[in-house]
Amino acid sequence: MAILEAKSLQKIYTTRFGGAKVQALSDVSFSVEQGEYVAIMGESGSGKTTLLNILAALDRPTRGEVILDGRRLSSVSDREISAFRRDNLGFVFQDFNLLDTFSVQDNIFLPMVLKGSQFREMKRKLAPVAAKLGITDILEKYPYEVSGGQKQRTAVARALITGPKLILADEPTGALDSRSTDGLLKVFNEINRDGQTILMVTHSVKAASHAGRVMFIKDGRVFHQIYRGNSTVDQMYQKISDSLTLIMTGGEDDD
Amino acid sequence: MTKGFFPKLAAGNIRKNGKTYVPYMISSIITIAMYYIICSLSVNPGLNNMMGAEPLMYMLNLGTWVVAIFSVIFLFYTSSFIIKRRKREFGLYNILGMEKLHLAVTMGWESIITAAISIGAGLILGIALDKVMYMFFLKIMEAAVPLGFFVSADVIFKTVILFAVIFFLIFLNSVRQISLAKPIELIRASGEGEKEPKTKIVMAVLGALFLGAGYYIALTTKNPLEAFILFFVAAVCVIIGTYLLFTAGSIALLKALRKNKRFYYKRNHFISVSGMIYRMKQNAAGLANICILSTMVLVMISTTSSMMVGMNDTLAARYPNDLCIYGFYGVDDREAIADVKALQKEEGISVKDEMDYRFLSFSAIQDGDEFTAVDDTGNLNLVGKVSGLVFVPLEDYNASMGENESLENGEVLVYANRDDYGYSKMKVGDETFSVKETVDEFMGNGITAANVANTYFVVTGDMDVIEELYEYQRGVYGDAGSEIRHYYGFNTDASEEEQIEFYNHMSTIGLAESKAEGRIGFIGLYGGFFFIGVFLGALFIMATVLIIYYKQISEGYEDKGRFEIMQKVGLSRSEVKSSIRSQVLTVFFLPLVTAGIHTAVAFPILKDLLAVLNFTNVKLYLIATAVCYLVFAAMYVIVYIFTSRTYYRIVKR
Repeated sequence: MAILEAKSLQKIYTTRFGGAKVQALSDVSFSVEQGEYVAIMGESGSGKTTLLNILAALDRPTRGEVILDGRRLSSVSDREISAFRRDNLGFVFQDFNLLDTFSVQDNIFLPMVLKGSQFREMKRKLAPVAAKLGITDILEKYPYEVSGGQKQRTAVARALITGPKLILADEPTGALDSRSTDGLLKVFNEINRDGQTILMVTHSVKAASHAGRVMFIKDGRVFHQIYRGNSTVDQMYQKISDSLTLIMTGGEDDD
Repeated sequence: MTKGFFPKLAAGNIRKNGKTYVPYMISSIITIAMYYIICSLSVNPGLNNMMGAEPLMYMLNLGTWVVAIFSVIFLFYTSSFIIKRRKREFGLYNILGMEKLHLAVTMGWESIITAAISIGAGLILGIALDKVMYMFFLKIMEAAVPLGFFVSADVIFKTVILFAVIFFLIFLNSVRQISLAKPIELIRASGEGEKEPKTKIVMAVLGALFLGAGYYIALTTKNPLEAFILFFVAAVCVIIGTYLLFTAGSIALLKALRKNKRFYYKRNHFISVSGMIYRMKQNAAGLANICILSTMVLVMISTTSSMMVGMNDTLAARYPNDLCIYGFYGVDDREAIADVKALQKEEGISVKDEMDYRFLSFSAIQDGDEFTAVDDTGNLNLVGKVSGLVFVPLEDYNASMGENESLENGEVLVYANRDDYGYSKMKVGDETFSVKETVDEFMGNGITAANVANTYFVVTGDMDVIEELYEYQRGVYGDAGSEIRHYYGFNTDASEEEQIEFYNHMSTIGLAESKAEGRIGFIGLYGGFFFIGVFLGALFIMATVLIIYYKQISEGYEDKGRFEIMQKVGLSRSEVKSSIRSQVLTVFFLPLVTAGIHTAVAFPILKDLLAVLNFTNVKLYLIATAVCYLVFAAMYVIVYIFTSRTYYRIVKR
């Protein structure tokens, strides 16, 4: 069953004085199945971020439709949108986006508190998530006291705690060193194995090589995609590298 | 580097940082103008030659010092905001290859430009407003306005030197801050995660104690004489208490709220409590400053304006008659009064409402209904118990008041000027009187009205009793004891000039007083108070406004990041907005509310203090205080609306 469907998404930005129009997405369609782990790759300016913002309901498409778990995002009113987002989506950002004013634990609780959950329920849900992510020891600390990898795991915990239908990750390894990157990718593999659907936007071939499917975006369209099938991570890495080379060297002809 | 590079760079920097520099320069200009004005008024020859000018010149001189000290603190404070905001910029220059020396030269040029513009514009504004202020002043003093400008080169010189030195010190301080830091620290300075503030329980408790002590003194002090001494103590206690409570107390309270899981993990509380902890850490001192400045403005303007408005009442209390003379009973009183009456005929001055009575007044320590003369005036423990006693024979009372009272042996009538006398007996030394009645009215008496203590006026049977009491207090006080006096006073229809002339003649006879003459001194004193009150009030309000403006701006930049993250995590735009608004409102109006409470608590003690100055119209004072508070609150709200608009513009972008 498809949990997320994007249908012919188009996004056109108009510059402030109504002059030049910039087409960020021209025609993007794809779907993500329940429990899938999808990576979206593309160069800078290919429309990745625009796509993610539209999927996250942070922005609206000029044309086309996003359907999350059978519900059209365009049918969600502006007033409901924040509640909808925090009930259904979990976010992991490149720069963590943790609040300095909260301890690690309170940062993780933030979406639960916003939902209006009871403290006891939050506490109960936190324990397994924190244990899985290996951050039980730092719950009382503040973001400025912990490492980048720990910050990102905190952000993952914050995304997971509400039990979202979909986790959207925007360059989650972008600000991490290679060890922390390995750690985070392992975490993503584990939560995906537990049934969590993940959609990740990335530049990193290494990060993408862990996904079950990789979509390549170029010039505002889905240009190509690779399924893992039975490949190992290393084989996947090779496939992605090859595809990228192909795309870079004018894959236009293959279209 | 080519010549003229640094001045150009400096000028460009100031222009680019307009949002922080313009308010800074405006406030510098106003501060300089204010200093120039008060300095110029204090040496204005027109004022010096005016009658009743001495207390006023004294106060203006004092005011000059207050404004000078204020300028130093205030300009340092506001400049620190600018340095904080610009650390990143300096760090970038440093990394791009400018040496610290080059930075110092740039900052030097910036300081020179800022100082030159501020001092120049400040002097121009000052000279222009000086005349307006002078006219306002003369209006208060009820004097005619002369033509022409008064410009003193001396004052200009003084102003330039003072502020050049202040700007130079600010420059040195900025250089010190920049040169101590590494470039990477400078770059990070504004984005670095702030440490959570520590809880300082001891300081919080101390703050509560200080504030409590100050409030206790203000609320329980009944005796005006005590109030005079203790007011200062109370004010210092409240100031210390306010600082401690704002800095340590607020954080201790917020952390206690955070410990309460049930309360804390609620949607509204969660964000606002954690946000407030950080806000208070950065703003506590500034908020305490605003609170204390506001309280000062409120107290100053409400007291001085009500004194000014109520001056005629006060004058009437101090001078019951237009003209009067005090003679010594049994020594020269008959001759003196006869001389005055002869003088009346000679000068042909109209005479009405004559009052003629003998009295004995001395102070004693009161304990319930017992009064004892104690020769230990330096003893502060007794200050609160000192009362004044004034004895008048029945015969004189009946004659002056037009009454027809009679008293048995040992009976007295009692009138209390401030407190009620609730006892049926009155023991003075060895004598015991029974109080027949407490009366509601009593002939005024200027000498005792000037006394700050509670005073009881006692009507006794005859002069013999008074002479016995005289002997009693002479026995205790010796040569410092009181004489029995004879008061003769009258009103007249003559003009003030004539009254003053008559007074001058009367002064050759004995101790004389004139209401018209006193009035000039009153206007000088109260007008001076009022002017200084309004003047400093205006200065403090400007400071408050500017501090608020800078607070909002610097917070705006910090809140921007938080605002974005919360939206991404699932807080709607309107929720974020309302949460930030509630925090900003709390921070903003906390000082105003606290200042209101301070002013309200200070009311009783200030009322007593004003009573010392013969101002007893509590209702007028209450109204003046309320009006001042409302006007101040309204101005505060306007400032809030303007600055919060800037704030939201920063946050939303």
